[in-house]
Amino acid sequence: MSRPLIKAADRFSETTIDGEVVVMSLDTGSFFSLTQTAATAWQLIDGTRDLAQLVDALGAHYGTAPADIEADIREFVAELVGAGLVAGG
Amino acid sequence: MAVPPSPHQLIERLAQESRWRPGRVGEPFPEHPLQPDRWRIEDGRFALRTGTGYAFHYAAGEGVTVEQDRSADPAELELWLNGSVYAAVACLNGLYPIHASAVAHDGRVHAFTGPSGAGKSTLVAGLGRRGYPLFCDDTLLLDLSGPDTIMALPGHKRLKLTDHGLALTASPAQSQVGAGTGKSYAMPPAGICREPLPLASLTFLEQGSPSSVAPVTGAERFSRLEDDHYTQQLFLGARRPALAELFALRARIAGAVTMARLVRPFTAEGFAKSLDLAETLITHYHKEQAP
Repeated sequence: MSRPLIKAADRFSETTIDGEVVVMSLDTGSFFSLTQTAATAWQLIDGTRDLAQLVDALGAHYGTAPADIEADIREFVAELVGAGLVAGG
Repeated sequence: MAVPPSPHQLIERLAQESRWRPGRVGEPFPEHPLQPDRWRIEDGRFALRTGTGYAFHYAAGEGVTVEQDRSADPAELELWLNGSVYAAVACLNGLYPIHASAVAHDGRVHAFTGPSGAGKSTLVAGLGRRGYPLFCDDTLLLDLSGPDTIMALPGHKRLKLTDHGLALTASPAQSQVGAGTGKSYAMPPAGICREPLPLASLTFLEQGSPSSVAPVTGAERFSRLEDDHYTQQLFLGARRPALAELFALRARIAGAVTMARLVRPFTAEGFAKSLDLAETLITHYHKEQAP
């Protein structure tokens, strides 16, 4: 079983402007601008869901079959993990 | 917990700390001798050596020392004192600078920003012709110490305009800013604002055609505040903020201030249109967002 996805709270700052989530890596200073599905996914990464559960939750949120979004979400989460903003998966 | 100084107290402190006297500057940072056209800000002190014969040194509580050699153009002194030195003293006294010129209207500040040559001073001179008093020219100082409103501190008493800007705004030239600048001082047609006021809007000036105005929204509001102008470098040098602190400061401004992009060609027609658009932004703000 995979581990829950959890944000590395001490490695980023975030703010929400006009519905867009802006996340800055405190390691590199680089920004992520998260809108729509990515913003929702970011909010759902709360330490209680692994990757499969995150995909299921997003599918339920948007009324979409999880299989249709899994590849995109997997890629997005890999990017967050690569940037050191999220662990687990 | 210490109560932060009020905006009026900050204005007084800035005036006090910016007072200057002639004297010897020497090498304030002996381990880092200053070359011409270089500055250094460290340990609550600021030093600048220009390429035109001036040297400045500021230390908290001591004011500004000015040294000038025989080659220095006396007309340049005000330029430096109201520019780099002013911004550095402000940064070392807790203020946040934005490279912008601004007007006041109905108890709020409307600022226009862009790189050097973007037309900031010319636009506010033109707005002055339409009755909007000058709030500052080229450097806008923000007081972010309060919990809610972002207050702006009034700055300059005169505008610095190129010959083109003088002609576009029908402004009489008073005196040269400095022989090497190609600019002249001009009085703001609608006078100046002397009161600290909340910052309402920040408009980014761009060259292009056709003339247009559009809101800046979302993450762009944040990224637009990443300014590489020297005023930001002074702030970073003075405060040496951690990334998280800098992020929080910019997030606060981005969340509190209306932002727009104003595009226009650098022509007389484009200038007239830009004044119409800028005035619409200012008056629209008050119709839609004033409490």
